[in-house]
Amino acid sequence: MQDVIRQSITAVSSVVLGKEEQIRLAVSCLLARGHLLIEDLPGMGKTTLAHALARVFSLDYRRVQFTSDMLPADILGVSIFNPQTREFEPKDGPVFTQLLLADEINRATPKTQGALLEAMEERQVTLDGLTRALPDPFFVVATQNPVTQSGTFPLPESQLDRFLMRLSLGYPSAEMELKLLAGSDRRQLAVNLKPVASGEQLQHAMAEVRKVRASRDLIDYIQRLLAYSRNGGLFVAGLSPRAGIGLLNASRAWALTGGRDYVIPEDVQVVLGPVAEHRLQSLAGGAAATATQKLLESVPVVRRQ
Amino acid sequence: MARVYQVPQHAFIWLITGSLLASIPQMMNGPVWIAAVVLFLQCWRVLVQRGRLRMPGRVLRISVLATAVGLTLYSYGTLFGPDAGITLLVCAFNLKLLEMNKMRDAYVVIVLNYFVLATVLIVRQDFLISLYVFVVLFFVTAALIGINQPEANIRARSQLRYAAALVAQAFPLMIFLFVVVPRVAPLWEMKSDQKKAKTGMSDSMAPGEVAELSRSAELAFRVQFIGEAAPKPERYWRGLTYSWYDGRRWSQALPQNISASDVVAYPSRFKPRWYSDLERSAAGPQYQYRIILEPTSREWLYAMTTPFIEQNNIGVVSDYRLISASPVTDSLSYTVKSYTRMPRGIDAPRWEKEFNLRLPAEGNPRSRAQAREWRAQAGSDDQYIARVMRMFRQQKFFYTLTPPPLGPDQVDDFLFRTRAGFCEHYASSFAVMMRAAGIPARIVAGYQGGEENPLGTHLLVRQYDAHAWVEVWLPESGWVEMDPTAMVAPERIESGLEQALQSQGSEFASAFNEAIGVSRLPILKQLASAMDYIEFNWASIVLGYDGMTQTELLKKWLGEVSPLRIALLIAAGIGIIGLFFAVLLLWRGRRPSLEWWQKEYWRLHSALRKRGVEIPDHPAPGRLVELVSAQAPAAAEALKQWRECYEGVAYRANSANLNGMNKTNSFDKQSLKRFRRIALRNIS
Amino acid sequence: MPKLSAVQQLYRRWLRRRIPPATTVTLNQRRIFILPTGYGMLFLLIAAMLFIGGINYENNLLLTFSFFLMSLFNVAILHTFRNLSGVTLSAGGMRAGFSGRHGALEVLVSAGPRRSHTSLWLQWPGSPAREMSVKAGEEQRTWLDIELIHRGRVFAERIRIESRYPLGLLRAWSLVDLDHWCLAWPTPIESAECPASGGDDDEGLHNSLAGNDDFDGLRSYIPGDSLRAINWKSLAAERGLQTKVFTDPAEGRRWLEWDRLAGMEPEMRLSSLCWWVLSLDEANQPYGLRLPDQEVAPAIGLDHKQQTLRLLALFGVQ
Repeated sequence: MQDVIRQSITAVSSVVLGKEEQIRLAVSCLLARGHLLIEDLPGMGKTTLAHALARVFSLDYRRVQFTSDMLPADILGVSIFNPQTREFEPKDGPVFTQLLLADEINRATPKTQGALLEAMEERQVTLDGLTRALPDPFFVVATQNPVTQSGTFPLPESQLDRFLMRLSLGYPSAEMELKLLAGSDRRQLAVNLKPVASGEQLQHAMAEVRKVRASRDLIDYIQRLLAYSRNGGLFVAGLSPRAGIGLLNASRAWALTGGRDYVIPEDVQVVLGPVAEHRLQSLAGGAAATATQKLLESVPVVRRQ
Repeated sequence: MARVYQVPQHAFIWLITGSLLASIPQMMNGPVWIAAVVLFLQCWRVLVQRGRLRMPGRVLRISVLATAVGLTLYSYGTLFGPDAGITLLVCAFNLKLLEMNKMRDAYVVIVLNYFVLATVLIVRQDFLISLYVFVVLFFVTAALIGINQPEANIRARSQLRYAAALVAQAFPLMIFLFVVVPRVAPLWEMKSDQKKAKTGMSDSMAPGEVAELSRSAELAFRVQFIGEAAPKPERYWRGLTYSWYDGRRWSQALPQNISASDVVAYPSRFKPRWYSDLERSAAGPQYQYRIILEPTSREWLYAMTTPFIEQNNIGVVSDYRLISASPVTDSLSYTVKSYTRMPRGIDAPRWEKEFNLRLPAEGNPRSRAQAREWRAQAGSDDQYIARVMRMFRQQKFFYTLTPPPLGPDQVDDFLFRTRAGFCEHYASSFAVMMRAAGIPARIVAGYQGGEENPLGTHLLVRQYDAHAWVEVWLPESGWVEMDPTAMVAPERIESGLEQALQSQGSEFASAFNEAIGVSRLPILKQLASAMDYIEFNWASIVLGYDGMTQTELLKKWLGEVSPLRIALLIAAGIGIIGLFFAVLLLWRGRRPSLEWWQKEYWRLHSALRKRGVEIPDHPAPGRLVELVSAQAPAAAEALKQWRECYEGVAYRANSANLNGMNKTNSFDKQSLKRFRRIALRNIS
Repeated sequence: MPKLSAVQQLYRRWLRRRIPPATTVTLNQRRIFILPTGYGMLFLLIAAMLFIGGINYENNLLLTFSFFLMSLFNVAILHTFRNLSGVTLSAGGMRAGFSGRHGALEVLVSAGPRRSHTSLWLQWPGSPAREMSVKAGEEQRTWLDIELIHRGRVFAERIRIESRYPLGLLRAWSLVDLDHWCLAWPTPIESAECPASGGDDDEGLHNSLAGNDDFDGLRSYIPGDSLRAINWKSLAAERGLQTKVFTDPAEGRRWLEWDRLAGMEPEMRLSSLCWWVLSLDEANQPYGLRLPDQEVAPAIGLDHKQQTLRLLALFGVQ
C-alpha cells in the first residue's frame, strides 16, 4: 500500500515539477478525505495539479470555471421537464463527480459558493426536494486567486473551515523553471498520466489512514496546540474542534505518506500550516502563517510540567 | 421591604445544627427558661427556612429580647457577671438567627456562634466538654464555608468534609501557640460566681463531719508519682492540722502572738531559716509526685509529710503542709517532693508544744483520769502511747459511717459508752488522751490512700478517702504521725474505705455503695477507669500546663528565655507550619506529573543546553536529534537510537486507542537512559 | 478618559509593572493580593477577646480556643489564596457595538488540571459582579458588558477577580488587564441622501436596486436562451416556453463613498455611512464602501456587514 502511495506522489511530481512537499500534502489531504483549497496567482499549475491527482488515483474528474454570473444550478444541476413523459427529470450538475476542480471559486457570488460548500460538507445534494448522495469518494479541489485581486468575493471564514487544507504552490525554482520551459505542455502531460492506484486501492489507503496510531502524548500535544490557539492571544478566534479533528486526520495521512503507521509530532508540525492558516486570523494583524509559526514555537512538544 | 437574604440550604443545615449545639450546655446549666427561649427561636427559624413562617417583625424581636432580659434579671438579679452575661449572649445569639436579612447577619451569627461556644469552656473544662466543643466547631466552620458558596446545587456533606480539613490543618499551629505563647499574668481581677463552695475539708472538724464527707465519690485530687510510688501505708495526704479543741470541735488556730507570716514560707521567693533548717535535715526515703487538685475554693493543698516545693504562689507551713496563696478556683497542678520518714520538729518552738497541750478547762473527766492513771503506770511516753493504742485494738470498738450521737462529754461518751465511730472520733479521743497525759498532740486532716487507676500510673483520691489522724510530739523524735483508726480498722489503711466497711458488716457496705452510687458492673467500671485515665491526662497535660511548665520547657528549647527569643520562636513556628501547609496545598496537585520518558526528554534537553549545544526551547524529539547530530556527529549514532526508543515509547506504543494501556517497560526505560548517557559522553 | 490624580497614576503604573497586560494571565503569588475582610477583623477581634478572657480566668481552654481561631484564620489565608491561585483568565470574543451604547467582551476563566476554584467574582470597576465556579480542568465563559465611550477600539479596564471562599475571612483579589478591547462602530445617524455611486440609479434607495441574481419576471422564450433559464414549470402548465429573467448582476454595484459627504465633520460622515450600511443591509442590497485609504468591494451578508462596520470603526484609529 505504501508503495502505491509513493508511486502516486512520484507520478504527480513528474508533471508538477519541484513541488514534492505540496504534492505530498495534497495526497495526504485526499487520503484524509478532506477538501483542498489551492491559493495562487493564475498560471501556477493549480489546474495541472488537480488534474494529475485525478488521473493518478483514477478518479472521475470535472472542472468548473467559476464566474460571477454563475448560479447554484450551474453546479448542482436542474430538474428538466420532459414533455414526452410529462415528468421532471433531474439533470446532474458537474458536482456529481469524484474529483471536482472548482477553479477560481472566489469569482462566484456568495450564493453559488454557498451551494458548493454545502454540498462539500453534506456530501449530498437536494434538488427540488429530492436528495441525492454524491459519489464516494468525493473531493473538491478549489482554487482561489489571492483575495486582493479585484472582482472577487472572498470566501468567508466559516466556509473556509470546510477545506481541510489550503496550499499555495508558489513560483518554481530557477532550475525547475528551465525544465518547465524545455518540456512539453504540462496540462497535456497530466491528461496523459497513467493511473497508479485503482479506486479500490484508494479506498483501502483511506481506510489505512484511520488506523494510523496517535499516542496519548501526541493527542495531548494537539490538544495543547488547540488550546493555545484559543487562549494564547495570537488569533482573533482559536481553532474549532472540527479543525482539531482535521489536524489529527491530516497528521495521520501525512504519517502514512511517509511510510509510518504512527504519528510523530513532526507530522503535526508539517500539516499545521496548511490545516490551520486559512481558518485563523492573526490578532496582531500580520500573516496567519507567522502567527501559526509562533504557535508552534510557544507550545512545547513534550509536556514540561 | 428589603429583600431577605436566603441562607443557602446546604449552609443552613450546619448553621442551625451549630447554633443549637452551642446553646445546649447553657440550656442545661442555666435556668430552665433558656431552653424554652432557645428552642422557640430555633423552631421559628427552621420554619422560616421551610417557607412556613415569615421573619418576625421588629416589635416581636424587641419583645423577645425584653423578655429574655427580664428573665435574666429575675434569675440572677443582675445583667452583669459571667453567668448572666452568658445567658444573655445565648438568647441574643439565637434571636439573631431571626434577623438574618443580609449576608452580613449570617456572618455575625456564625462569629457569635464561635463566641458562645467558647463561653461553654468558662463553666466546664473537662475532656468530654472539650471534645463536644470541638465537634460543634466542625459544624460552625462548615456553615461558614456554606454561606460563602452561594450556588444552590451543593451537597451539604462536602462542606463538612472541607471544614474537617480546615479544622485539622488549624490544629498544629493551635497546639504550637498553646505551648509557646507566654502565659501573661491576669490583666485584672476576675470574680467568678460559678465557683461556689465545694464539698471537701473545712477549716474545722467536729465528730460526724468527715463521715458525712465520705458519702461523696467526687474527685478530690489525682496523684502521679514521678519515679517510685510511695507504699500504701505511707499515703497520708495532709491538708490541715487542728490545734484548737473546744470540747467538741477541732479548729485551725495559732496563738495570738504568732502571726501567719511567721509560719508560712514561699520557698520560690524566699526561704526563712526554719525552712532552710528543715531542708538541711531532709533524709530517708523520698517520693516525688504531681498532684492535680480539683477546684476547692480553699487555700490548702495536699501532700505527704514533709513536703518540699518550689512553685510560684505555693507556700510551706511550719506544720509541714502546703498552702496556695489564693483559693484554688481552677484545677491546680503542683509537683512535690516528700521525705516521709525524716525526723521533724525536734527543736519545735516552745509555744507550739504548749499550744498543742491545751484542753478545755472542764469536761471529759473519765478520760482525763484514765490518761493520768495510764501515764503514771507507763514508764515512758512511748509505752503510754502503746497502751492507748492497745485499748483501741483490744477493746470492742466499731468503725462505722453512722455512729450513734454523743453526749456533752464527747470523748468520755465515745470511749466508755458507744465505742462506734468514724476516723474523727478515734483521732479526736486519741489527741485528747495525749494532751491529758502531757504529750503535745494535734489532729491532721486530709485524705488517706487513693484508688489506683488500672490504666495509668496515677491515684485517684476521692472525697470518701477523707481521713483524720493525729500527730504527737516526742522529745527524741519530734512530731510523729499516729493513726488510731488503723488499730480499729486496719483494712481502711490497706484497702480503702469500701473494704473496711465490708469487713465490719455487709449492711454498712451496701449502704455506703448506695450512698455514693458506685456501679458494680465490671464493664462500667472499666469504662469509668478508661475515661478517668483520659480525664487525668487531660487535666495534667492540658489544663495543668501553666507558666512554670512552659518556662521549663522553653528553657529546654531555647536555653535562655527572653521575650526576644520567644517572639522569634513564635515567628519561626508560624512560618514553618505555614510553609508546610503552603507546600502541601499549593505545590501538590498543581499539575499532573510527567511520564518517565517525558522527564527523560527534558533531562537530555537541559544536559544539551548545559553543554552549549544550540537547540530550540522545545523541539520535537526527532528534530532535537537531527539538530544535535549536525552539531556533534560523534553522538549521532546514540542519539538515533535514543530517538527510536523515545518515539517507540511515546508515540508508537503508548497509543491513546489502547485504553489506559500504559505499562512502563523497564527495558525501554533503561535503554533510553543508556542512550542518553552515551550520547552525552560523546558530546562533552 | 477622566483625569487621574498623581497618586492614581502612580498606582496604575505600579500595577502595570506588577501585572503587565496580556491576553492570558494565570494568577500566581505575584498577581494576587490578599487582605482580611471586615468579618475577618471581627473574627480576629473575638479571638483577641477570648485570649484576654483566657489570660484573666487563667483558663487554658479559652486560650486554646483563641489560638484555634487565630490558627483557623491563618489556614484560611492559604486556602483563600489557593482558591484564586492557578486561575487562568483569557481574553475571549468580542461583541462590537455602536459608540455610545454597550458592547461586550468575553472572559474565559479556566482552572488547572487538578484544582477547582469556587465562587469567584468577576467585574469591571463600576459594573455589577458576576459569580462563577470552575471545576478542575474545566473552563467557564462569561460576557461582561462594556460601555463604548468613543468610536474605535475601546480598551477594557482591569478586571477585578475576587474570592473570599472558603471562610469569607479574607479577600483575595487580582486586577488583570487582558489587553482586551471592544470595537465601537460609529453611532449611526440617519441622513436622507445616500452617499452612493453606481447601481441602477445614483439618486438613492427610492428606486429599488436589483440584486445580482434577483428573479425579475418571465418573458417568452427566445431561441438562444440558456436551457437553465427556462421556466419548466410554466411549460408543464401548458403556458408555452418561458424564460426566467434576472436583473443583470454584473454592473451597477453600489459604492458608499466618503468623498460624497464632503463638507461634513469626519465623525458625522462615518455616522452617516454607518447608518447607510445598516439600512442597505436591512434592505438586503449589496453595497461597497470606499474610504480615503481603504475600500470593501460590494457584497452582501453578515460577514460583509461586519467587515464594513469594522472599517468604519477603525477609520483613522491607530
